[in-house]
Amino acid sequence: MSKRNVSRRQFLNYTLTGVGGFMAAGILMPMVRFAVDPVLKASASGGFIPTSQKVSELTAEPIRVDYTFDQIDGWYESQVTNTAWVYKADDGKIVALSPVCKHLGCTVAWNTDKEHPEQFFCPCHNGRYTKNGVNVPGTPPIKPLDVYETQEKDGILYLGLLKPHEGA
Amino acid sequence: MKWNYKEVGLYQESKEYVDSLIIPMNPISFGVQMKHFSSMHEFMGILTMEVEKQLKGRLLLMPELTYWSEGQDKADLIEIWKIKLAETDFKHVFWITSDSEWKRYEDELPGSLLWIPSIRLEHLEEGQARQMMNDQVHQMLDMLTQSWNK
Repeated sequence: MSKRNVSRRQFLNYTLTGVGGFMAAGILMPMVRFAVDPVLKASASGGFIPTSQKVSELTAEPIRVDYTFDQIDGWYESQVTNTAWVYKADDGKIVALSPVCKHLGCTVAWNTDKEHPEQFFCPCHNGRYTKNGVNVPGTPPIKPLDVYETQEKDGILYLGLLKPHEGA
Repeated sequence: MKWNYKEVGLYQESKEYVDSLIIPMNPISFGVQMKHFSSMHEFMGILTMEVEKQLKGRLLLMPELTYWSEGQDKADLIEIWKIKLAETDFKHVFWITSDSEWKRYEDELPGSLLWIPSIRLEHLEEGQARQMMNDQVHQMLDMLTQSWNK
C-alpha cells in the first residue's frame, strides 16, 4: 500500500502545527489590529463629511446644504443634521459658511430680509452678514460667520472642520 | 436656549436679548390614550428642539410642562404660571401644545397659544417624516417671527 507514507508521528506533528498555528493567529491578529489601528483610521476621510451636493451644481448664489452625521454628545448618541451655506466665489473657490450667528447662536438665512437683499440675515436680533460672511457693522454680531473646510471627491462636496473666518 | 446648566448661564448673561419664552405642554395618562400621548410627547420634543436650534439666541425653551389629562385642573396650572411669569421680563410667551383642550383656555393663558396638531411620525417613512417635520417647524418659525415684528 503506497499510501502509507505518512507516519503516525508525522501526522500528529502536522495536525498540531496546524491547530497551533490557528490558535496563535487567533491570539495575534487582534493584537496586531490594535497596534496598527491608528494607521487604519488615519486613512479614512480625515473628518470630512459627505453632503448630497454636487460641486458642479454650485453657483454664485448661496444655497443651503444639509449634511448628517453621528454625534456623541455626553450621554447621547444621535444623528445630527447640520446646514451650511455654500456658493462659488468669483475666483471659482467654494465657500461654505456656518449658519450659526456669532451673536447668540441663531440660524441665519440668505436673502430673507427685504430691506437688505444679498445678505445673510439673522431673524433673532436683525444681525446681518455680507455674502462672504463678514458681519455688517452696527448690527449685533461682532464676529464674521465661521467657515467650513471643503473638499471635492467624485464630484461631491465634502465639509470638514469649522474654522474662524480669515478675511475679518 | 435650552433648559440646561450651560445655556441657562448664557441666558442670565444676555437677558436683554432673550425676550421670548417657549413652554411646550403635553398631557399624560395611563389609560387608553397612553400611546397617543407618548407620540405627542415625541413630536413636541422634536418640534421644539428644531425651533430652539433656529432661534436659539432670542428664546428660552422650558422643559415640557406635563399634566394629567384627567383630574388636573388647567385653571390652577394657569394661575401659578401667571404669578411666576409676572416676576420675569419675558415680552413674548408662547404656549405650544397638540392638546386641543387648551383652546378653551386660550383667553386665560398669559401669552399666545400655538396649537399644532401632532403628526404620527411612527407611521411615516424617514424622509417623509423629516419633510413634514420641516414644514411644521417652518410654520412655527413664521408664527414666532411674525409676533416679534408686530
